[in-house]
Amino acid sequence: MCISKYIFSISFVLLTVLGQAQEVKKKDSIPPKKERYGVRFGLDLFKLTRSFYEKDYRGLEAVGDYRLTRKHYLAAEIGNENKTVDDDQVNFTTKGTYFKVGFDYNTYQNWLDMENMIYVGMRYGVSSFSQTLNSYTIYNPNPYFNESLLVTPGDKFNGLSAQWIEVVVGMKAKIFNNIYAGFSFRMNRLVSQKIPNNFDNLYIPGYNRTYNGNFGVGFNYTISYFIPLYKATVKVKEKAVEKKKK
Amino acid sequence: MKKIYLLIAIGFAFSSCEKDDVCDANTPTTPRLIIEFYDSVNNSDLKNLTNLKVIAEGMDEGIIFNESGTEITKYLTSQNKISLPLRITENVTKYRLILNSNVPSTINEDIIELSYDKEEVFVSRACGYKTIFGLTNTNLNIVAVDSNNWIDDIDIIEPNITSENDVHIKIYF
Repeated sequence: MCISKYIFSISFVLLTVLGQAQEVKKKDSIPPKKERYGVRFGLDLFKLTRSFYEKDYRGLEAVGDYRLTRKHYLAAEIGNENKTVDDDQVNFTTKGTYFKVGFDYNTYQNWLDMENMIYVGMRYGVSSFSQTLNSYTIYNPNPYFNESLLVTPGDKFNGLSAQWIEVVVGMKAKIFNNIYAGFSFRMNRLVSQKIPNNFDNLYIPGYNRTYNGNFGVGFNYTISYFIPLYKATVKVKEKAVEKKKK
Repeated sequence: MKKIYLLIAIGFAFSSCEKDDVCDANTPTTPRLIIEFYDSVNNSDLKNLTNLKVIAEGMDEGIIFNESGTEITKYLTSQNKISLPLRITENVTKYRLILNSNVPSTINEDIIELSYDKEEVFVSRACGYKTIFGLTNTNLNIVAVDSNNWIDDIDIIEPNITSENDVHIKIYF
């Protein structure tokens, strides 16, 4: 499948480089400042709106993060999807719930009391789902008989699961008070999956469409609300390190 | 910052990478029955047919052996190997093998009846499923006996029809 494997590895390298490159950014010396720490809860508007305009899709995803350090955030997503895929040869419905947990690393240097993020991160995702094979076509490259090749078994495969790793790139911006808007792109790589007998997991809730080579992509667009818990002074030590790098 | 844009661009590039949506012609899908023709005296020698026409029972037109032929010659073969599709909605397919089909004085028709079990196997998103077959015939009950059979003998080499790389049946004449 294309060169997905290599792109995935390359993006890993790029992300690492990116993380380091940001450190050398110039910064004016400013008086000791306090930054807010807390939790943020939100919803994925992309899945929510798709549920309205796409007939064969129902999905909901809640997102959350907790600020651990100046730059590190504990982040998680939980969601549920119900999608019917109508391809040329197969028509199936996937239903299931997923959970992703990981971290975000903010590479953006906020000025004054700005609280924006341009981040890279990783997630570990797990999904539990079922597949219903609504219909399929028997592929016959040599049609001679006038036969109907469409079969409608309606087989349901329960108890399926998948686990994967995501590399996340995204941004969050404070639009007013404690309201943040953000989006993120994800590149996924399957770690393991339980495949139905004589069928395949062509769509996995939370992971999206599967491609050959265990590769996938994702996107979300979120609106979230920040609940401040405490404030912490930016440590002098950190600032000294930054100065030294200048 | 530029690197982030680059990553986003790569992400977009790959969301449109859907090469696996078209079933590749090289992917093995529903196989046909492969028959090779041999000399009935020297059993190991392949023997060319003469203007064989093959029509399944219940069908009006023959199997097309030569796409570029005329209305008459495209249904004829004088090779030593043919590929016949099996009905995938039934467990029996009957074929009329008509030798010298264009010469009324020497025309000779033999009927073969192929019985089989079927299994549907998932291939891929793009190709869907394929049907594979297991012949349940014995060597003796494939050819219908008539007063003047041109087929002398028949040998099932590979009863499991899972690909077109194998020869499944040998016919001696």
